[in-house]
Amino acid sequence: MKFSHQWLEELVPGLGIEGREVARLITLHTAESEGVEAHGELLGGACPATVLAVEEIPGAKNRKALVATAQYGEKTLVCGAPNCRAGLQTIYVPLGVKRISGIDSDGMLASAAELGINADDDGIIELSGDAPVLAPDEVIEIDNKSLTHRPDLWGHFGMARELAAILRQPLRDPVNISLLPAGDPAIEVVIEDLDLCPRYSALVFENVRVAPSPWSMQYRLRAIGLGTKNNIVDVTNWLLAELPQPTHAFDADKLHGKIIVRRARSGEKLLALNDLEYELTPADLVIADEAGPIALAGIIGGKHSAITDSTTRIVLESANFHAATIRKTSSRLKVRTDASMRFEKAQDPENTTRAIARAIELFAQVAPGIRTVGGVADVRSPQRPETVISLDLAWLTRKLGREVPKPEVVGLLERLAFRIIDHGASLEVGVPTWRATKDISLPDDLVEEVGRMVGYASIPPTAPLMPVAPPPVNHERRYHNRLRQQATAQGFTEVYNYSFISEQQAAQLGLPLEAHLRVLNPIASDQSLMRTALLHGILKNFEENSKHFPRFAFFEIGKEIHKQATGLPQETPHLAAGFYGEGGLAELTRLAECLVGCVDVLPTADVRPFEHPLRTAEIFVGEKQIGRLFEFHPEWLEGRAAVLDLDLSLTMALDAARQIKYTPIRRFPASEFDLSVLAPPRTYARTIAQILHAARAPRVEAIRFLTDFTLPDASRSLTFRITIADPTRTLTQDDITTARTHLLSALQSHGYELR
Amino acid sequence: MLDAIQSLSHEALARLASAQTPEALEEIRVDVLGRKGKLAAFGKEMAKLSAADKATAGKALNEAKAALEAAFEAKSTLFQKAALAEKLQQEWLDLTLPAPGVRPGALHPLTLIQNEIEDLFYSMGFVILDGPEVETEFHNFDALNIPPDHPARDMQDTFWLEGGHLLRTHTSPVQVRGMQTLGPPLRMIAPGRVFRNEEVDPSHEHTFYQLEGMMVDKDVSVANLLYFMKTLLKGIFHRDVTVRLRPGFFPFVEPGFELDIECMVCGGSGCPVCKHSGWVELLPCGLVHPNVLRSGGIDPTQWSGFAFGLGLTRLVMMRYVIDDIRWLQSGDLRFLNQFANQFAPAGGL
Repeated sequence: MKFSHQWLEELVPGLGIEGREVARLITLHTAESEGVEAHGELLGGACPATVLAVEEIPGAKNRKALVATAQYGEKTLVCGAPNCRAGLQTIYVPLGVKRISGIDSDGMLASAAELGINADDDGIIELSGDAPVLAPDEVIEIDNKSLTHRPDLWGHFGMARELAAILRQPLRDPVNISLLPAGDPAIEVVIEDLDLCPRYSALVFENVRVAPSPWSMQYRLRAIGLGTKNNIVDVTNWLLAELPQPTHAFDADKLHGKIIVRRARSGEKLLALNDLEYELTPADLVIADEAGPIALAGIIGGKHSAITDSTTRIVLESANFHAATIRKTSSRLKVRTDASMRFEKAQDPENTTRAIARAIELFAQVAPGIRTVGGVADVRSPQRPETVISLDLAWLTRKLGREVPKPEVVGLLERLAFRIIDHGASLEVGVPTWRATKDISLPDDLVEEVGRMVGYASIPPTAPLMPVAPPPVNHERRYHNRLRQQATAQGFTEVYNYSFISEQQAAQLGLPLEAHLRVLNPIASDQSLMRTALLHGILKNFEENSKHFPRFAFFEIGKEIHKQATGLPQETPHLAAGFYGEGGLAELTRLAECLVGCVDVLPTADVRPFEHPLRTAEIFVGEKQIGRLFEFHPEWLEGRAAVLDLDLSLTMALDAARQIKYTPIRRFPASEFDLSVLAPPRTYARTIAQILHAARAPRVEAIRFLTDFTLPDASRSLTFRITIADPTRTLTQDDITTARTHLLSALQSHGYELR
Repeated sequence: MLDAIQSLSHEALARLASAQTPEALEEIRVDVLGRKGKLAAFGKEMAKLSAADKATAGKALNEAKAALEAAFEAKSTLFQKAALAEKLQQEWLDLTLPAPGVRPGALHPLTLIQNEIEDLFYSMGFVILDGPEVETEFHNFDALNIPPDHPARDMQDTFWLEGGHLLRTHTSPVQVRGMQTLGPPLRMIAPGRVFRNEEVDPSHEHTFYQLEGMMVDKDVSVANLLYFMKTLLKGIFHRDVTVRLRPGFFPFVEPGFELDIECMVCGGSGCPVCKHSGWVELLPCGLVHPNVLRSGGIDPTQWSGFAFGLGLTRLVMMRYVIDDIRWLQSGDLRFLNQFANQFAPAGGL
């Protein structure tokens, strides 16, 4: 929302500060300013001028003009405007001498657009009669988001009230309510649902002459970014930007009978002012006449009843609508207007007739001869009782953390138009109607009013006087962080991937589309599903990083999102690690051991299409599968790309169950011997190790894989180192022989021999 | 005999002195000091002497033996030292070769910052909570005093999911979940991933990280909020930070604030980073709205609180002067490996 400094100054005559300071004060006390911009800068030093003569410049499109200026005498300048002609009254801007088209051009003649009056840049401005008295303005832009709760600040009068209160200056109300004509209205208004339209006021005007509005009005509207059209429409924009009451002018001669505010009928259509046709539903509120909808309530007028150059009688609508209804229709039909933006913030129903009174005054200025017809039609639900809040001053002090003296509290609230009755320890605070629609209903809301007006800088930071206790530990978070530290210590770098995947990505890993939670309004079609695995991101990380590195390692801890039949989806934390380059599977097995402890790697033939058929394993701890280890199938990814995927909800449970128990150190020395086992091709070391373990040979303390090699006939030699020990005595040769025999017979019973 | 001992001793000492190799030395030792050596031969001859002569000769023999043994030891040590010195000379090693073995990877910069801030708050008695990334409309909006069709819903472009759920647009829903689980009094923070339906460009992301904070107790005031925020910022920036509170609208707090910090680039005099205002917007915060306390099952007449939201992504970008937000979720190791050897505190208590 843009605010004109000149406009604000009209409403707060004692303003006395420049735009930047206005912006600073508003930011500190009311809402966030996004900056101040100059408007109509060229008007500084500009003056009326008459073109005396124009001559062609050989070989140039521009022409040379001699002008008589009101302030600077005669000037010669170069002008490109097609309408530059002798005798034309226009505006001269002194800019100094510049060489243009081979001629020293002293200053310029300006278009209305250049002067900031309107969008007309077809030629230089043409004056008739008195020159406009316009001066450069400053435009203060306020962040709309910070005005969401303040319907009153969507117009200059509301912002002027804030400034007047901050600066302790008087506020001038532009509305003269006594201008409202009495008598029977010349238009009948019917409201079908007073909840959706709490108030509808209207007044008929005749003897209307549609024409451009004066430069001064156009300049003001242009400054704050509103369009200009004609005197009637410009006045409605003025009311919206000032009070801020959105209004609409219908061509009275194009209406059929009375005005009816009602829900649209199913399938009803409206051709709007923007030349788009909208198909309506009963959820939408329309203004209709007896022939059908003439406007989308609070949003946009209809084309057929719009003001045209030939309009002579108008109905000025000034109404109030249910905020959420306007918002719903406006977002469903994707039509947001200056009016809908205001109505959806819950405007003050008491403002409607004020706008009509102001319109009477403005119309008189911009459309001479205009007359009101009859009295104001004003259909409404009963006025809402005043919102009254009891403000306990001691409570206020506790909330703010500093005391604000009562007279100061009373003074600042009164300057914001709150009605105060002093009850000693508390105040009875009556809320003005324009703050009561949504904004203020609780004592807490008044804490904000007092706090922001005294300035939060006046509140000293204070430590609370409260007992402290060590907070409970978030075990899951601590566990995940431990894994992160461990994984990075092992050489893996942490990545964060998106939670969104595309249908193609889902299909790429062979996951059924319907298993994924779907985003209804994705930014792009390639982000339409929620990931059910971290692998999509990991695959992408492999593809992209392999362009830069021959060998790399990374991991992600993130959530898989699994759709449930009812309720929220299940979010399962996973760790997925990737290793690119030879030896990745071993690196990842080591990582798994570092992260989880003792793991069993069980090769599986049950592989998914993207997994290497002979390089895929399930990771177990005891009986529990906790993850998977595989190499990507070369058709999916070039080079060796190995992945470890762990379900952290499972590993964390195991981690929590693990207890460290001390075993006394053995006092007698151990002895070791090696067994080299001859095994058929592709025998897994784990198979042999299991036989050795299962043999339960006496005094065997440890069985460790030592080395392996493949014989020429592809059979394998696998060497294990056996440690035997006795906690109670020194070993004898017999002990060693017994253990060895035991192990050997176990191997033989499974068909293996020593090499 | 004394003379013979004497001359043997002299001669042997001279031979020891002139020995050039450990082998020559050993030869002399065997010849003179060995079990069948020359000194041992004197021992046999001594048996033939008178008792008096035996004593004299024995003494001389012992002296000679001690002297020769000492000389031998000295010479032998010399040879050992020389041999060791020679061996060490052969053990030249290129100490400048790169060391083999695994190098640590890098934690993600968001993890680094998050750990740092979690530690800070944990030390001030705040519990660290998690919440789901897929949320109900109730927790994300209604419970936070943002009813359906409230224009404030426009402030956060929402990703809607099938089944009526949504991707949380802020970490604030954890306020409600936290109040329901912990009950008053409480201090909690909730860091996490949030989502907004926004086009991605160098400074906007649809996926980013926030940290929600909340304290509920008796008579929590704006002054308390300011105290905690200043302490937080001092912890983050490792220096006193000038802050200002100004009004800000967030439906779940009343009053609501934007907390700005004085621009650290220009020190408040105005520069492009702070858009020439001297201030940088950092933290939305406020006193918890009574309706929100009620949603969390807490009686607002008995308890009050403050809440704040910290943009972790933004903080990371400030801390490491990252020019494009998209690097953070690019998975690009050229970017991420730069954060290795950042010894972050253990974190995640």
